[in-house]
Amino acid sequence: MTPLFNDDFQELPLKRALAQVMAKREAGAKVVGAYCSYAPVEVVWAMGGVPAVLCAFSNAPIAKAEETLPVNLCPLIKSSFGFIELKTCPFFELTDAVVGETTCDGKKKMFELIQEHRPLYVMDLPQCPTNEGAVAYWRHSVNGFKKFLEGTFATTISDAALEESIRECNRKNRLVEQIFAFGACAPAVITWQELYAVATYAMSAHGPEAIAQLEEIIATLTARREQKLYTSPEGTKRVLITGCPVGGDVLKVLKLVDEEGAAIVGLDSCTGLKPYANVTEEGTGDPLLAIAKRYLQIPCACMTPNTGRFDVLKQQVESLKPDLVIDLVLQSCHTYNVEAVKVESYVREDLGTNYLKVVTDFSQQDLGQLKTRIAAALEMS
Amino acid sequence: MLLHGQTRTVLDRFQAETSINLSSQLSLIKEQYTWNHLVSTGYGRQLAQKVLGGDVITEIKAYTTAAHHFHPAIDTVIDLGGQDTKALSINRTSGQLHKFEMNDKCSAGTGKFFEMMASSLGLSLDELVTEALRGSRSVEINSTCTVFAESEVITLLTSGVALADIARAIHEALLTKLVSLLSKVMRSDTAQILFVGGGAKNRAMVQLLTEALNRQVIVPEHPDFYGAYGAAIHAIQSTR
Ligand code: SF4
Ligand code: SF4
Repeated sequence: MTPLFNDDFQELPLKRALAQVMAKREAGAKVVGAYCSYAPVEVVWAMGGVPAVLCAFSNAPIAKAEETLPVNLCPLIKSSFGFIELKTCPFFELTDAVVGETTCDGKKKMFELIQEHRPLYVMDLPQCPTNEGAVAYWRHSVNGFKKFLEGTFATTISDAALEESIRECNRKNRLVEQIFAFGACAPAVITWQELYAVATYAMSAHGPEAIAQLEEIIATLTARREQKLYTSPEGTKRVLITGCPVGGDVLKVLKLVDEEGAAIVGLDSCTGLKPYANVTEEGTGDPLLAIAKRYLQIPCACMTPNTGRFDVLKQQVESLKPDLVIDLVLQSCHTYNVEAVKVESYVREDLGTNYLKVVTDFSQQDLGQLKTRIAAALEMS
Repeated sequence: MLLHGQTRTVLDRFQAETSINLSSQLSLIKEQYTWNHLVSTGYGRQLAQKVLGGDVITEIKAYTTAAHHFHPAIDTVIDLGGQDTKALSINRTSGQLHKFEMNDKCSAGTGKFFEMMASSLGLSLDELVTEALRGSRSVEINSTCTVFAESEVITLLTSGVALADIARAIHEALLTKLVSLLSKVMRSDTAQILFVGGGAKNRAMVQLLTEALNRQVIVPEHPDFYGAYGAAIHAIQSTR
């Protein structure tokens, strides 16, 4: 079967992303590190910069982080912080500036601890996105970020550049959506490893080069579908992953699904489709407002109410037809953990699909138990 | 567990402590027994399949199968095992598993807890249970994490609390966990709970659970073999 990427980074999506960021940096682009899907990357691209994802999913630096941070904190925050302390995160080491958002409490306060390392801008994110004034307020934050970049790098970001960047990102995002839509094929023609690789690639890719690569991937997938080159046999049970972002050591959960002979056909989280969904309106005359509107539609559990999450789940379940929805919650992530109560009842009662919540961290100690849980949930699906 | 295919009577039952070399233990079974159909369950199921062949099911499915077969009126099962604790909700009509809950990684509270607590009090497991049955509810232990619970126990001991009351408090601590798991799967019209796993042999726990739930708690004859029963029944059912 033809791989989706024709390069030296097969099964190494993070190494590929690192190479992308390094190449752009060598060509003179400023690297802006981001921790969240709310970071408006259009502004970074408009400046001629490149965004790099700093969320870490490795268990290795957690012990270091726990020297400073409380143990009962989300592993994603601990891992990201530990890497910075150890100076071993290659992405962070490449950054010229960092942007954060006031999403969850742990992250928000962690930013205060890293601000001495890099120029840092924290965007204040309204958490009731449908309340009056929320979009206007968030536009101020987006504008603040733009001014921060302009000040830090002694440059100006014109409206025309922003419009151009919005168009490019929309184009790229639609292609990523098209690729994820192949998840609906039964039998499957795309694996979760490939979905994850595409999502990781697209974060630091832009312009004609990105478009060409993504179009080539679509051609490969179309050929697979037409030639009946399936990635798992007919009748394989299908799984949709939702919840917190996943990567690195927490991919253990996804690997267990593979081990149990099921196929993951959708990644709904921030390391999957979520950052690429929704369209930023083009040619409005106020690109910052258009950006603000689009980003506030991201259905993150930090928001209340977070009705968009349920719309997306409905749409994903209807198109991907999973037998099981796994809601992956990182330990101590209160927002996703509490939202799981509603997600469970929505998936089970309204969508009529089996549901399993998994609360885990980046360690390997719960592998045996997770395997039993996932196997049992698949047995009943 | 060896079950007769037609009569479903138990032909043989066999239990052994798991050792580091599980494969060779399993190989012994191969030498000593013969069977037509084999299904393995539990934490070692994959290894058992590798050594002995046959199929695998999770213990969750095994419990569901056994519960529906032996106790068709049951819709709620609690399993207190050495590794984990599970609560199951079963559809009484179809016998299908409706939902299950398991203890999370950090909310310990498994059968191992009793063993550790007994040893920190210098008691055998039986003695701990006997003490608990004599004790009254005078103190609380809040943790089911063995490390924290141990220090709570030592504090209570040194402040002169009766051993029996401490033993009871140890049981109550785990009881809270069981009740909270059960409350996630139990229905309002659930009249009986089936209590299985090694922990169901603990008389004090059975008594406390009955009182706390205000429902009938049924313990099968060999609660620690319940998963094996389920696997054997599944083996028979799936070959027909
Ligand atoms: S889950 Fe929420 S807080 Fe985390 S990266 Fe996504 S949008 Fe940001
Ligand atoms: S997973 Fe949850 S707790 Fe962790 S950083 Fe994201 S929103 Fe915050």
